[in-house]
Amino acid sequence: MFEVRLVQGSVLKKVVEAIRELVTDANFDCSSTGLSLQAMDSSHVALVALLLRSDGFEHFRCDRNVSMGMNLANVSKILRTAGNDDIITLKADDDGDVLTFMFESPNQDRISDIEMKLMDIKSEHLGIPDAEYEAVVKMPSQEFLRICKDLSNIGDTVVISVTKEGVKFSTRGDIGNANIVCRQNTTVDKPEDSTTIQMKEPVSLMFALRYMNSFTKATSLSSSVTISMSSDLPIVVEYKIADMGYLRFYLAPKIEDDEDQA
Amino acid sequence: MVILRTSSLFLALRCSPPPSLRSSPFSLNPNPLFHRLSSSFRCHRAMSGQRTVADVLMGAARAAAKKNTKKPSTATTTTSSAPVPSDPQPEDAAPPPKKPKTLDGTAHSDPEPKNSILELKKKGHDFNPKAAASWKDGEPVPFLFLARALDLISNESGRIAITDIICNVFRTVIATTPGDLLPTVYLSANKIAPPHEGIELGIGDASIVRALAEAYGRKEEHVKKQLKELGDLGLVAKASRSSQMTMRKPQPLTIARVFDTFRAIAKESGKDSQDKKRTHIKGLLVAATDCEPQYIIRLLQSKMRIGLAEKTVLVALGQAVVYAEKPKVASEQVQSSLEEAGKIIKQVYSVLPVYDKIVPSLLHVGVGKLQEVCDFSLGVPVGPMLAKPTKAVSEILDKFQGMEFTCEYKYDGERAQIHYMEDGSVEIYSRNAERNTGKYPDVVNYVSRFKKPSVKSFVLDCEIVAYDREKMKILPFQVLSTRARKGVILSDIKVAVCTYAFDILYIDGQPLLKEQLKVRREHLYRSFEEVPGEFKFATTITSNDLEEIQKFLETAVNSSCEGLIIKTLDKDATYEPSKRSNNWLKLKKDYMDCIGDSLDLVPIAAFHGRGKRTGVYGSFLLACYDEQNEEYQSICSIGTGFSESQLEECSKSLRNKVIPKPKPYYRYADTMNPDVWFEPAEVWEVKAADLSISPVHRAASGIVDPNKGISLRFPRLQRVRDDKTPDQATTSEQVAEMYRAQKINHTNNQDDDEDD
Repeated sequence: MFEVRLVQGSVLKKVVEAIRELVTDANFDCSSTGLSLQAMDSSHVALVALLLRSDGFEHFRCDRNVSMGMNLANVSKILRTAGNDDIITLKADDDGDVLTFMFESPNQDRISDIEMKLMDIKSEHLGIPDAEYEAVVKMPSQEFLRICKDLSNIGDTVVISVTKEGVKFSTRGDIGNANIVCRQNTTVDKPEDSTTIQMKEPVSLMFALRYMNSFTKATSLSSSVTISMSSDLPIVVEYKIADMGYLRFYLAPKIEDDEDQA
Repeated sequence: MVILRTSSLFLALRCSPPPSLRSSPFSLNPNPLFHRLSSSFRCHRAMSGQRTVADVLMGAARAAAKKNTKKPSTATTTTSSAPVPSDPQPEDAAPPPKKPKTLDGTAHSDPEPKNSILELKKKGHDFNPKAAASWKDGEPVPFLFLARALDLISNESGRIAITDIICNVFRTVIATTPGDLLPTVYLSANKIAPPHEGIELGIGDASIVRALAEAYGRKEEHVKKQLKELGDLGLVAKASRSSQMTMRKPQPLTIARVFDTFRAIAKESGKDSQDKKRTHIKGLLVAATDCEPQYIIRLLQSKMRIGLAEKTVLVALGQAVVYAEKPKVASEQVQSSLEEAGKIIKQVYSVLPVYDKIVPSLLHVGVGKLQEVCDFSLGVPVGPMLAKPTKAVSEILDKFQGMEFTCEYKYDGERAQIHYMEDGSVEIYSRNAERNTGKYPDVVNYVSRFKKPSVKSFVLDCEIVAYDREKMKILPFQVLSTRARKGVILSDIKVAVCTYAFDILYIDGQPLLKEQLKVRREHLYRSFEEVPGEFKFATTITSNDLEEIQKFLETAVNSSCEGLIIKTLDKDATYEPSKRSNNWLKLKKDYMDCIGDSLDLVPIAAFHGRGKRTGVYGSFLLACYDEQNEEYQSICSIGTGFSESQLEECSKSLRNKVIPKPKPYYRYADTMNPDVWFEPAEVWEVKAADLSISPVHRAASGIVDPNKGISLRFPRLQRVRDDKTPDQATTSEQVAEMYRAQKINHTNNQDDDEDD
């Protein structure tokens, strides 16, 4: 038996909206510790890792570890029928092939339940250990969203360089070059507006902006975003989910394009 | 250097510090996820001894991108210091060896699988299927095996050598994983489904370019630029070096997965289907190594261009099954059984072109009994029987000496095979076995009127012709071609058609293919009734008098037919599907007096060559000269009649004449988009079969037809006229005269092959 009840149902809605562009089908893995998901995009360039810990749910029951394969576009369709304040309950039998979504409006006057067929997805699971990163930048998620959006108007790759000065986002395109530098800034009224940089060594890596823009779909989950980088490691873009866990995006860097010389 | 860092990144990512763990990362780690990875890692090492850690996770692309072959091997040594548990586990037994640096196709480092591929070149009796297989019995066949074999074939030119290789491929699959034979055959034949199912990949070059760019993290412009240089998307894929690293190299491709993905691509339809198709293609490309990308792309384009014809695939399939037969065929009989098997398969395929039925039956009952199991079936169209061209009536008399034969009008319409099922449903198939039912709802409607009530099921071979119901007159093909291709609604039909039946292949549960024409005709006349303006039997006479036939031919031409088809009646008169048989001859006006004079035309533009013609121009746009308006009017594109050296010469001399924009005095259709334009400089002598009205070309526009011009059918180059200047080229007035001088004026299908 699997049954979980999430009071702030909007979290689930936001999570699914944030990742459905990147991954079409994914397995939700449920265990007594919580609900997690790991999936790669079709090009194997980006990886999504989601964790919703069991203690963040109002009620969490998972007798046996189950893996539920879902088409995210379908999940999104179903979740869109839920109101933003609705309480969401997910239910499944141990050997069943359906997942039931139940949406309750805050004052309990409307209850809908929708059954969704599960699917078998072969997925390759990667173990991702917690590495120490050479540079970790924490900044307002809105700011990051804006940077990615602005730069993608000019070029299609972004070089992210972290130095003592700050973090620099730069791109090159047909119309010209662009650089945006964010300095460390802790003297703000609200802590979530601050930008902090922890750096052991300067790092500079290049990424496809297409993916970055896709990651920023998660902006509404958290007011700040944490970007962790090490040379030659995938970058990690993490959005914390309050009291519950995180949504992390990993992205493999691009190699210097030698085609320009070719 | 870079690769070294990559490999350490792998360790860091997968096996978290402390470093003490690094020395023995796999055995100490209890995490099952890790275990899975490590076991696959282990077996790869065991298999090829070359697989780098960098290849397993993140950075495979980078390894692939680096040309230098030494670096990855350094990485290997670094990582192999980690102890590798030696107990292989059954579930991870033997994925095919995958090679690290492959996308650039320059390095083939591990010799072992290469040898097993060379095994494929052996002659039939020396070949050991097990030696060629790099996978274990019952495991999915890696796509790399087929891709390498295709690569091998591309370097062969002899039919026999090619047959041997593909036959050995099939034998290997039969000996190890017979379940994969069907997809292997399909991919070798470059098909995804029987033609009548109408399942098509539906991918344009533009989609492939985008998929390549996205999968390899390249820019579309670069891909396009490279396409121009290499002339073939397959080669572009092969040469694409990735600039995008990946999180983890996906599982090696298997034949079954590639084939399933192709079918999935074909099935995508509706909204965003192009995006979904591209996602599928990307998935394949990301996992592809070695020469795989090249062949995936070529298969997707349905352009193999390696000289592997479907006939060869069929023959090889038959032979492979003979070799696999148990008990073994006695060695002295092998040769004859092989030949026999090739014939049987070809015959069976001609009456039942459905691999989904043939391949399982082959594995089940063998070649000998195949014909009993697979026969002509209602609802599965066979390729129509075709006729050989002849030039004169006398030639016919020579060929059919002493035989009874019959002459039929050769109608100028669209060949159709009408299947009437027992449940009353009707399907109409085109000459290429494509479903055409949606184009002719009116014909479907007529069926109940022209068949006699007692008839329960039938298959008719006929020609659908545009017809003027008021004047009771046949209209030219040109009119028929204005009909919509599919989804025609009965009430919207503007072009009425009449069906001319001339053969019957099946009636009431009984196949008639093996009956003589005389018998088939009796069935035909007995089971159907003419309905004026809707259904008729082809006009025919039986005669061996030369004069009479000549006269009949003239009447045929005067009644808007193309000519005559002459068929044996009694002897050798069975229906031979998709064969261009000597028992059917066609006598066409065109062949008899193909326009005698050649034309002198001016090349004004050209298209870049592809494939074999990379580097030279592939075809040229020719124009005639209009003296009145002093302009050059396009008349046809030409790509035939050139020898290779001639083409090179023409391309070279014209390359100096390239101009950035067409001259203001060039007349051509806006839809024409040649790659380069030329100054009017040369004059080429061109012969053609026929002149026809064309919506595309502009020659003599306004003289014969107010809006349309004239174009040449089947133009071919005779020679370059050095003695003429462009303004001495054939004039529009001359072209118009030639057109008027033709007896029958109609546009035809583009290709002679398509119009019998």
